[in-house]
Amino acid sequence: MRFGATTGAPTKPSPKDAPPALTRHSSGFDQFCGFLRSTEGLSILDMSGASQANITFITSLGHRISSDDIVGTMQQCFGADFLDNQQAASNAQRFIEQTLTFPDESFDGALVWDALQFLVSPVLEDTVEQLLRVMRPGGMILLFFNADEKATRTPVYNYRIQDQKTLLQTPRGGYQRSQHFNNRMLERLFERAASVKFFLTRDHLREMIVRR
Amino acid sequence: MSSPTRNFDPEPGSVRSGSAALGKNVTVKGQIFAREDLTIDGEVEGTVECHEHRLTIGPNARVQAGLKAREIIIQGSIQGNVDATDKIDIKKEAKLVGDIKTSRIVIEDGAYFKGSIDISKPNAAKPAPQPAPSVSSSQPLSQPPLSTPTPVTAGSVK
Repeated sequence: MRFGATTGAPTKPSPKDAPPALTRHSSGFDQFCGFLRSTEGLSILDMSGASQANITFITSLGHRISSDDIVGTMQQCFGADFLDNQQAASNAQRFIEQTLTFPDESFDGALVWDALQFLVSPVLEDTVEQLLRVMRPGGMILLFFNADEKATRTPVYNYRIQDQKTLLQTPRGGYQRSQHFNNRMLERLFERAASVKFFLTRDHLREMIVRR
Repeated sequence: MSSPTRNFDPEPGSVRSGSAALGKNVTVKGQIFAREDLTIDGEVEGTVECHEHRLTIGPNARVQAGLKAREIIIQGSIQGNVDATDKIDIKKEAKLVGDIKTSRIVIEDGAYFKGSIDISKPNAAKPAPQPAPSVSSSQPLSQPPLSTPTPVTAGSVK
């Protein structure tokens, strides 16, 4: 199954066009925290780049945290237009070589946030394959996807942990075109995983937990 | 006729600055061991050990080395593992690729970091043992010391 790109012209972010910062309740992250609190000494991957809030939250629970800024890597490899520029094989190869460069089965948990919605085939499937590779069996992955099928552009956010149930979305780099996924598409994307669970939300973000 | 002796000892009263620095035009390949605070603003390839002292990686620094110190402040670029017994402070202009081991970490928004973080709290300080009360060896321990006066009330002495 190939995932195609949505239509819409790429936009250059401007100060007036900057998306707002948002605080949101997250049931998916709440469940992820239940997993964090169930034991100590887990190895957690945060793919939103290094931040004091996330580092403090994860390490205060006695876990090890690794940081990798996957959206930052997209910006380096794909420039202003993620969806268009990742179609070039050289850009796609460079992105895959720089992303998830960890040994097999390195992590018990991963906070991928909404990064995967900015990827299309074949980069999307390659990234999911790498993500499952670095997860230990039974490991938990938290992902978000834009659920508004009418949206042609999606704000690019950093995700900062406020507490067990609350996240702060801080804007970075304006908007990008993103794919729209339905539940069936996501189940097929993660068909190699042990389980997939979706959470109902009141806003335009679909939350899911994947068990490796 | 004997040649005059030359004294290379520091002059009496001279004070050491307490910190060393490698400027931005300095390149070092090898091992650096420091017994004082050290600031690196040049290029270093190898290892840097600054036990019990502060190591500052300046904004112009490009370091490909493992770093060890009591406290490490990072403003420049590092590729290597960083081990600080007390604290690591990563400024917003810093770029760090490597693993971190420390007791505390402060990272500013905008800093680039890729790697893992291990927070190891120092062992809690054991309370100092209380000194044993001084007791003369001729007195049994169950009785009060002879130096303590026993109050005498009127009419109690016969």
